[in-house]
Amino acid sequence: MMFRKIFLFVFSILISVSCHTATENKIPVVGFLDLLQDETLANAKKGFFVALKEHGFSPADKTLEIIYRNAQNDQPVLLQSCDYMISKNVDLIASNPTLSTITAVQKTKTIPVFMMVSPRPDLAKLTDANGKAPANLFGVYETLEYIDTSVMLIRQVFPSIKKIGTIFNQSEPQSVDALQRIEMTCKSFGIELEKLPVNNSSETQLVVEALLNKKIEAFFALPDNTVFSSMELIVRSCDRAGIPVFTSEEGLVKRGAIAAFGADMYAWGHQAGEQAAQFLATKSTSGLKPEIVQVRRRVYNPEKAGKFGATFGSGFIAVQ
Amino acid sequence: MNFYFAAILLGLGFSALALGIFLSLRIFQIPDITTDGSFTLGGAITAVLLSQHMHALLILPVVFICGGFAGMITGWIHTRLKVNALLSGILVMTALYSVNLALMSRSNIPIINLPDIFSLVSFLPGSIQQFTLLLLVVSILWLVLSWILKTDFGLAMRATGNNEQMIRSNGVNSHQMKITGLALANGLTAISGYLVAQIQGFADINMGIGIVILGLGSVMIGEIFLNMFKIRSITMHLAGVIGGSILFRIILAFALSLGIDALYLKLIVSVFVLLVVSIPNLRRST
Repeated sequence: MMFRKIFLFVFSILISVSCHTATENKIPVVGFLDLLQDETLANAKKGFFVALKEHGFSPADKTLEIIYRNAQNDQPVLLQSCDYMISKNVDLIASNPTLSTITAVQKTKTIPVFMMVSPRPDLAKLTDANGKAPANLFGVYETLEYIDTSVMLIRQVFPSIKKIGTIFNQSEPQSVDALQRIEMTCKSFGIELEKLPVNNSSETQLVVEALLNKKIEAFFALPDNTVFSSMELIVRSCDRAGIPVFTSEEGLVKRGAIAAFGADMYAWGHQAGEQAAQFLATKSTSGLKPEIVQVRRRVYNPEKAGKFGATFGSGFIAVQ
Repeated sequence: MNFYFAAILLGLGFSALALGIFLSLRIFQIPDITTDGSFTLGGAITAVLLSQHMHALLILPVVFICGGFAGMITGWIHTRLKVNALLSGILVMTALYSVNLALMSRSNIPIINLPDIFSLVSFLPGSIQQFTLLLLVVSILWLVLSWILKTDFGLAMRATGNNEQMIRSNGVNSHQMKITGLALANGLTAISGYLVAQIQGFADINMGIGIVILGLGSVMIGEIFLNMFKIRSITMHLAGVIGGSILFRIILAFALSLGIDALYLKLIVSVFVLLVVSIPNLRRST
């Protein structure tokens, strides 16, 4: 009997604490909706808050309040995190990456959403029948054009290459879209493409070995979640076979790819942060719209370049 | 919308899943892994048909039948091909991944601008109406399921889980019972996918991953009510399961509102659930 009382007591505390409403805040509140723990995504987040700080919005000077929630790759948690931000009446929601953006624009039609690491709204199927993106969606997107340049990059560095291999993740829309683009580009360059699906990072090694068995001459690592979680594995297998790994994300070059052309994640978040800062300063979304990512960089890994005897011109930045 | 109210909505959406898990647990005494696949199947069918502009209410029976079919396959593999029940579920779940991907032809379908079940009628402000409709659907499922489990057929099904040999010697085809039970359970799970996809506004190929654990958690949280108030009736038992699903979401909402470090989110949720579940049981050990 006593324990029943204790239980009810604990439960009522839980309810009463949870019903406590926040006091009215004068400083702007930003909700940052992160899908999962990832180094690349963390770069975009860093860029976003640095941009806000440059415009005088920083939690350290009490000019900004941040509500940061990370769903740890759990979709119902992502949804509840988003609900929480809305209930706290945040001034804006920053969404990183695609699934956070989709969740945020579904849950609110009034709070501005500033996306990053997300594709153009029509590629994410966020547009309505008239092809218009949600009215409260802002921030920075990427298209698939970087793929063309990435394939060109392989050609530029190793002109004799005739066959490249890639893995893609069927469960990620951007991965499948990018694959289709690579297929198109390779066809137009007369390069043969070997592709195999990987749905889970535990399958990566087997699939990469299967590709190497097909005598590919270069590996293109599409920057999707499986590649991010198993890059070292890919590099190890390809190194052993003497095959260079190209990609389109700088972080992956640090982790062993030879070169990349692609959006700079930090700059991507920074660009979205610039937009968000403008909104916080003017309290108006006029003049703001989703824009394409501006900073794409050519980077290379000097150690790998030496190993494969490749030279990179002045347009390339060395990363360690 | 109030944050905790939103958590209750989501809890209602997941309660159909909890009912399904309750059923398969009672029939097999093991968790039915097919759930992971049939939940996504429900969401996938919903998103595909909604984007074909099919009426949301017409999608409901389609979803139930497809989920039921998935459960039937698991039951058939288990009973006729004599494959271990856990493995049967794993096999069907794995196969459903491809089926779902093929159905959606991409991994994520937003259903943002489409008329869904919540926009069928508009008589109340948005979230209240969403609550009313969810409550209506879940209440219907609850009443129908408790009625089924009280019929002779339902009693035979429950008895199959308790003592298969006894029920066979009474002339009941226990294989048939298992297949039907699993079909019913996965039909309910698919309905949960249908509801959750519409609450969150998209279907995603990964929406079902690990969802069976969530259902098990809900069933077990629900059982603390039953132990606490010494409830034996099956109707109240099912109500407890629905309550467990809602409570699970509220606990998670509470953890989120505390603003704990994202790193420890899952750990804290586990500890909270453990606290809620264990407090009433402490009395027994004393």
